[in-house]
Amino acid sequence: MSDYDVHRGENPRIIFFFWIVMAATVTLVLGLGWRQLIAAQKYEEIEKRQTERRILKPGPRGDIYDRKGNLLVGNRAHYSAVVYLDDLRREFRAEYSKIIRAERAALKEAYQLKPLEEREDSQLTPDYNELQWVARQNVIQRYIDQINLITGRDDAVSTRAIIRHFNEQLLLPLPLVSDLKPDEYARLIEQVPVQSPIQIHTDTARYYPYGVAAAHTLGYVQKVNPDPDAIPSDGIKTYTFKTKIGKTGLEYYFDDLLSGETGTEIWRVDPLGFQDSLLDGVTPKQGENLITSIDIDLQMAAETALGERTGAAIALDVRTGEVLAIASHPSYDLNGLSPYIPRKTFGEINDRGAWLNRSLQLSYPPGSTFKLLTSIAGMRHGTITLQTEHDCQGVFRIGNRIYHCHARYGHGVVDEAAAIEGSCNIFYYAEGLRMGIDVLSAEAERFGFAERTGIEVPYETGRLVVPSKEWKRERVGAGWVPGDTANTSIGQGFLLVTPLQMATFIASIARDETRTQPTLRALSYAKAQQVNHGGEPVGLTRKQRAELWEGMERVVGDGGTGRLVQIDGLRIAGKTGTADFRAHGKEVNLAWFVGFAPVENPQIAVAVMVEGTSSLDSYHGGSTAGPVAKDIFLEFIEQYPERAGFQVAR
Amino acid sequence: MAKLRLDRIKPLVALGVFLLAWWIIPTVVKSFLKASFSEFQAPAWVATSYLDDLENFWARRSHSKVELIEAGKEVARSKSLYQFNSQRKETLENEIQRLEAILNLPSRREFRYEVARVVRRDLSAWWQQIVIRKGKDFDIPVGAAVVFSGGVVGRVVEVGALTSRVELVTSPNFRMAANFEGDERPVVYQGLPQSGFGDPLGTVRDAPQDVVASTQIPLKLVSTRLGGTFPPGLMVGRVSWLEPGSTGIFQSGEVELDARLLSLHEVAVLIPLYPIDLQNDVP
Repeated sequence: MSDYDVHRGENPRIIFFFWIVMAATVTLVLGLGWRQLIAAQKYEEIEKRQTERRILKPGPRGDIYDRKGNLLVGNRAHYSAVVYLDDLRREFRAEYSKIIRAERAALKEAYQLKPLEEREDSQLTPDYNELQWVARQNVIQRYIDQINLITGRDDAVSTRAIIRHFNEQLLLPLPLVSDLKPDEYARLIEQVPVQSPIQIHTDTARYYPYGVAAAHTLGYVQKVNPDPDAIPSDGIKTYTFKTKIGKTGLEYYFDDLLSGETGTEIWRVDPLGFQDSLLDGVTPKQGENLITSIDIDLQMAAETALGERTGAAIALDVRTGEVLAIASHPSYDLNGLSPYIPRKTFGEINDRGAWLNRSLQLSYPPGSTFKLLTSIAGMRHGTITLQTEHDCQGVFRIGNRIYHCHARYGHGVVDEAAAIEGSCNIFYYAEGLRMGIDVLSAEAERFGFAERTGIEVPYETGRLVVPSKEWKRERVGAGWVPGDTANTSIGQGFLLVTPLQMATFIASIARDETRTQPTLRALSYAKAQQVNHGGEPVGLTRKQRAELWEGMERVVGDGGTGRLVQIDGLRIAGKTGTADFRAHGKEVNLAWFVGFAPVENPQIAVAVMVEGTSSLDSYHGGSTAGPVAKDIFLEFIEQYPERAGFQVAR
Repeated sequence: MAKLRLDRIKPLVALGVFLLAWWIIPTVVKSFLKASFSEFQAPAWVATSYLDDLENFWARRSHSKVELIEAGKEVARSKSLYQFNSQRKETLENEIQRLEAILNLPSRREFRYEVARVVRRDLSAWWQQIVIRKGKDFDIPVGAAVVFSGGVVGRVVEVGALTSRVELVTSPNFRMAANFEGDERPVVYQGLPQSGFGDPLGTVRDAPQDVVASTQIPLKLVSTRLGGTFPPGLMVGRVSWLEPGSTGIFQSGEVELDARLLSLHEVAVLIPLYPIDLQNDVP
C-alpha cells in the first residue's frame, strides 16, 4: 500500500488539489475545443491576413475597330525593366554592412579629430535607418547603371521612390526604367544575363494605328489606382497594378465594355513581407472589343480635307444614323498620349486649343444652312408656297435698320428654290418675319436643335440656343424685336448649334423625318432594319419637298453657291452657309456646308464647318467648307460605289 | 581502436578541409583557379580536336577516286552557285549603300566572320555549351554571336587564349530578341532545359496577340538587328503554336530548333567591325 492510497479519499488537501487539476484540465480541453472547433475560422482568417498577400493585375482593354474591321485602337507592348526587391535582399544586407563599417570609421575619425571639450556632444552612432535606405538605393542604382550602359540612357532612382515602393507595393516589381523603346528592350533582352534580378517586363499601352484620325471621338485612357471598392474586403493585404480607364471619347463611354477582367495572384509571404510561394492565380482577361460605325477611309478623307484648318466634318449614314466619319481640327496624335500624357504634350495641345471636340463640344451660329429649316417652317405654316417670290434688291429695311443680302446688287426676283440656290437673305428676312419667331423656334425644336444628340461621346455641349421671346427675356433681359427674327431666319443672331446637330438635321431632311439618332456603334443588318430615330415625318407635301430638294440640288449646280462640290455622276443636294462668329476674342468667319447624296436615294449626309482663326480669314461656305465635303463624297463613291449609284464592273 | 577510427575518417576530413577552403577563399581567386584550369586543359582539347580532324582526313582518304571525283563535281557546282550569289549580294550591298547615302541613313552594324571548329561539348554545363577552337588569338570577344548554316548557334560567354566557350541557343541561360519573319515587332526567345531525346526546343514569349501560328503553317522565328548582337534574319527556329501568356494578351509558345544543333562541327563567330554606337547606329 502506497502513501497515496493511505490518504486517498481522506486528505482534503489532495482532494482540493485534485479538483484544481481537474478544473484546469477541463478548462484547457474546453479552450482547445473552442479554438479548434468554434473559433477555428477566425484564427484561419487571422493567419491568412498575416501570411497571404493578393496581387491584382488588371486585364488588357478591348480593341476598337472601324466598321470594316480595321483596328482603330489596340494594345501595343510597353516595355520596362523591373526588379523584385526580394531578389536583392542579400545585396541590400552586404551593402548595408559595408556602409555601416565605413560610416562608423568616418564617425570615429571625426570624433578623434575633435577637441576634448566637444567630444561629449558628438554622435558616435550612425543613423541606421537612413543608412539602410542609402544601401538599398545604392544597390538599385547599380542595376539602373547597368541598364543605362546598355541603352545609353541616364536614369536614376530616388530614395523617396524606394521608400514608397517598400511601404506600399513591396510585392510588386520596382520599375527601374519605363517606356523602353523596342531597340532598348531588345538590347536588354540580349545583354542582361538571364540570372540577373533585372527582369524585362512587358505591359500594354494603348496604340492608335491612325494617329490623329478621330482622336476626339476615340478618346484616350489614363492610368489610375484601382477603385478601392473593387478590392475584396476579406482582410488580405492587396497590392494592385495601376489600371487604365477611359478619360474621353469612346474609351470613356464604353469603359465598362472595354475594361479587361482583373487577374489575381495569391502569394504566401515570409514574416518580412517578401513573397515565398504562389498559392493561387487567375489570369487576367482582355476586355470586349468594340466595333464602331466609323469608316476609316472616309475618316481619313475628312481629316486630310480639313488639313490645317480649324473646324469639324461629319458624315452620317442617312438611313441608320451611323457616324461614318467625325473629325475635329486641330487634333492631336493619340499615340503621344500613351502610356501617359507628357506635360509638354499637354501644354502644346492646350495652346493649340486642340483638346476641344469641335464637332460636338462647341456650338456655333449655323448661318445660311439654317435657311433650310426656315423654308420647311414656312411651307408647313403655309407662308411659303410654290408661288412665293420676293424681289431682292440687296437691302431690306426693318424699322429704321437696313439689312443686307450677301449679293450687293440683289438676286432680283427669286422663288424659294432660287432663294436656296443663291442663299438670298432678303427672301428669308421677309419670310421669317411673316411666319414669326414662334413658328421658327417651334420648328427648330421639332428638329431637335434645342437638345443634345445623345451620341456615345461624353461632354456634348448643352450650350444649344434656339432663341424665342421667352428665352431672350430670361437670358438677355430684353424684349424680342423683328430684327431678331430676321437674324434667326438666316441662321444668325442668338442661334447656336453644333456641327453634329447640323449633320443629323441634313440626314433627317434626306430621310424626310425630323430626327436622326446618331450612333458610333456599327449596327448589325437586323438592327439597321429596325432603327427608330424617334422623330416624325417632316410634314411637307411631295411638291413642297421637291421644291426644297430642287433648291438644294441647284446649290451644287453651276450657278449655286456650292458649285465647287459638284461631282460628275453624283446628284448632291446641299446648302452652304457663311456666318459671323466671335471666337479667339475677335470676329471671324464660319464656313458651312451641309448636304446629302445621291438625291435619288440618299445614303450619306455630310456637315462641314470651318472656323476662321483670324479676322483676315475670308471663309465662305461654298469655297472653304464645300471642297472638304466634296472629298468626303468622293471617298464615299470610292468605298461604296453601288450605294452612291455608280455601276460596278463585276 | 581510436587511432583506427581516425584513419577511417581521414579522407572525409581532407574533403571537408578542401571544401571549407574552397568556400572561404575569395571569388577572385576561385575565378583565377577556374580560368587557369581551363587554360591548362585547352591545349589538350585543341590537340584532340586536331587529331579528330586528322582521323576524318584519313577516313576520307579511304574513299574511291570515283567518289572523290563525284564529290569534287558537287563542290564545283556549289562553288559556282555561291560565286553567283556572292556577286549578287555584292551588287545588292552596293545598291543598299547608295540608297542609304541618298536617304542619309545611319550606318548598320557590320561583322567579320571567323569560322571555327567545334572542339567539344561541355559536360559540366549539361551539354549546353560548346568549346570552339579559336579564342583571343583571333580577337574573339565575349558576347559575340555564333552562327552556322542552319541559323543561330549561340553567344560567346568565355574567351581563352586558344579556345572560346559558347552558350548554345538550346540553353535555358541563353536569351535573345527575335521577331517572326515579316513582322518587325520584337519577341523574346529563350532556351529550355532539354529532354535529351528528340529535337531541341526553346520558348518564345511576348508574341503579339494578332500573330497566329499553326502546325500547318509554322512561323519562322528569326534574329532581329534590334538587340545589336545578331544581324537580322538568321533562323532561330519554327513556332507551331502560341497560347495567351500570363498578361492575358501577349502569347508564348514552343520553338522547334534545328536538330543539327546537337551535332555541330563547325561554326562562325560574328565579330562586330566597330563598337556599337547607341546614338547613331540603326537599331
